[in-house]
Amino acid sequence: MNEERDQNLVKRTLRGDKTAFEMIVRKYQHPLLNYLGRMVGQRETALDFTQEVFIKAYASLRSYKPRYKFSTWLFKIASNLVIDHWRKKKITALSLSEPLDREDDGLTLEVPDDEPSISHAFELGEMRRRIETAMEKLPVPLRELFIWRHVNELSYEEMAEIKNLPLGTVKNRVFQAKEMIRRLLENTA
Amino acid sequence: MSCPRISDLYEYLDGGMSPQKVNNIEGHLRVCPRCRRAVEERRLIAAAASSLAPFDVPEDFPERVMSRLPGSQPRSRGWLAALAAGTSVLTLILVVMIASGKSGLEFMKGAGGTFWESIKTIALITAKAASFVSLVGRTLRTLLEAGVKGLSLLTSFVPPGAQVFILVVVLGVLATFFYGMRKKLSTGDQR
Repeated sequence: MNEERDQNLVKRTLRGDKTAFEMIVRKYQHPLLNYLGRMVGQRETALDFTQEVFIKAYASLRSYKPRYKFSTWLFKIASNLVIDHWRKKKITALSLSEPLDREDDGLTLEVPDDEPSISHAFELGEMRRRIETAMEKLPVPLRELFIWRHVNELSYEEMAEIKNLPLGTVKNRVFQAKEMIRRLLENTA
Repeated sequence: MSCPRISDLYEYLDGGMSPQKVNNIEGHLRVCPRCRRAVEERRLIAAAASSLAPFDVPEDFPERVMSRLPGSQPRSRGWLAALAAGTSVLTLILVVMIASGKSGLEFMKGAGGTFWESIKTIALITAKAASFVSLVGRTLRTLLEAGVKGLSLLTSFVPPGAQVFILVVVLGVLATFFYGMRKKLSTGDQR
């Protein structure tokens, strides 16, 4: 239903109805800003990027293929912008191509005996603040998936489609990201 | 059952496990306080991560975006293709008429005998020409897009200094080639 509505708005925009595109902007401005804000760190830069995503989407709307979900198409544009941003900052080479599915990711292990409790160390507000800080320390590809999963509530299938990765790889990376966040919280407890 | 792996606990929390596996994990959790605590811990962190404060979007943000959109960009350009096809067909007819040396009426008579026959013939030619022009247009567009994509991919790997160097070398080679060809082809002014 939601997707049908998006497709309808896309068709109307292609027929020249700009109000339909404005409805797309209103619908996706929050999800995109919440993703981009956490990927680039500064709100103003994130706002510029969000604007850029919509302008790119509008300019290439005719190349959008309705067999894909419109929201995943938008996130793909946003993700490419973020990759370009990191490339220009030259931070990337390591973080974007770093092998992430290593054996020592901790996921293949059982829960250790001495795992301290973090949830009892902080109240909810403090925990959220610390999660935001911990996210900044995640490698970019893991951070992106973590945000999509928890902030944008995308499914694993949607993430796999955006990143063009196998479903199993995406799941494993999300679990890795979650475990890294937990360990970072543990270190600050 | 021995303690599950951490990835299994995450999968369990995500709800993507088969009922059989869920039963196994839940059976284990009932008897293992360590894993029970670990699951609860991860559940609470996930809940906190899923309720992070949203970023504020300025009220005039949609207007800002709309004001930056290009004038009439995504609108379909079908009419342009039709116009191009029509012009091509008329040009083709004109060329045939001039080549045959007949007037428009003679041409129509010759083409079909009656006026309506001629209209039919022209309509057929127009349709074929239009589909041909559209096919050529689509092919050219695909080739151009592929070219631009390839070029942008290449340039993203090559540093700007090296790009300028390559451009200068390529232009130099082309200039030498054309100059050589011109010399070879020119016949009049050589003594």
